[in-house]
Amino acid sequence: MTKEILPELLSSWEETYKKGQLTLWIFLALKDGQKYVDEIKEFIESKSKNTINCEEQSLYRNLRKYEHIDVVTFESKKGNKGPDRKYYYLTKMGAELLETFIERNIKLFFSTEINNLLKK
Amino acid sequence: MKSLITPNLIKFTLVTIILTILFRIGLSTSITNGMMIAVILSAIIYAISMWINGSYFGRKEYEYLPIYDIGFRFHLSTFIAHNLISLLWFVFGFESKYENINVIYITALIWSVLLIIHFVYYLSVRKSSIKNLDKEDLFE
Repeated sequence: MTKEILPELLSSWEETYKKGQLTLWIFLALKDGQKYVDEIKEFIESKSKNTINCEEQSLYRNLRKYEHIDVVTFESKKGNKGPDRKYYYLTKMGAELLETFIERNIKLFFSTEINNLLKK
Repeated sequence: MKSLITPNLIKFTLVTIILTILFRIGLSTSITNGMMIAVILSAIIYAISMWINGSYFGRKEYEYLPIYDIGFRFHLSTFIAHNLISLLWFVFGFESKYENINVIYITALIWSVLLIIHFVYYLSVRKSSIKNLDKEDLFE
């Protein structure tokens, strides 16, 4: 009985856990280098091993917000076909924001104590 | 300030202007001809059309960039457009002979009280925004 609900519990936890992660993945994609939306999507899906799925519309909406608050900007470059592509990248403030966020929230998982706990 | 006057707000205001002119035409014609049903219908159709107008452009605005506070900016533009057109309606003499300009002034006065209340709310929610974007909705 207890084991039967394990997948459901895991799925519920993961759903909550993944909320709020999209920003981190977008920022990581841009830290990796300038990208246009399709490349950001591809980066997120491949690097997260398909645990994070993002719609293009959702990416555009987020990028517009980040652009509005000056943490992301873009430059237009010619694509293979069709109109120019917007290549997004982190601004100086965006890079600083990501760095501070990682320092405060991600790096603690790499401390020896937590690392040993994770390995147990 | 520039970021508060968005393309969707401009489109919403233009539709509001058209709807208000149509409403005033319907209202004045109905009053002149003493058609009470048409007077009521004009008001109902105007209210429904404005609701659809606000919902459509409001949703588009939110989906594009959720700038705070969509509601107040749309409310303010409706207030200006509606009252300005109503006033000009009388200035240019398009009103029915049974219409009284005092109704426009009283409407604007009551409405401005509601607008001020909405503005106070707007100022209070602005505190929880960064560059006019809701802090809680900024990062997903």
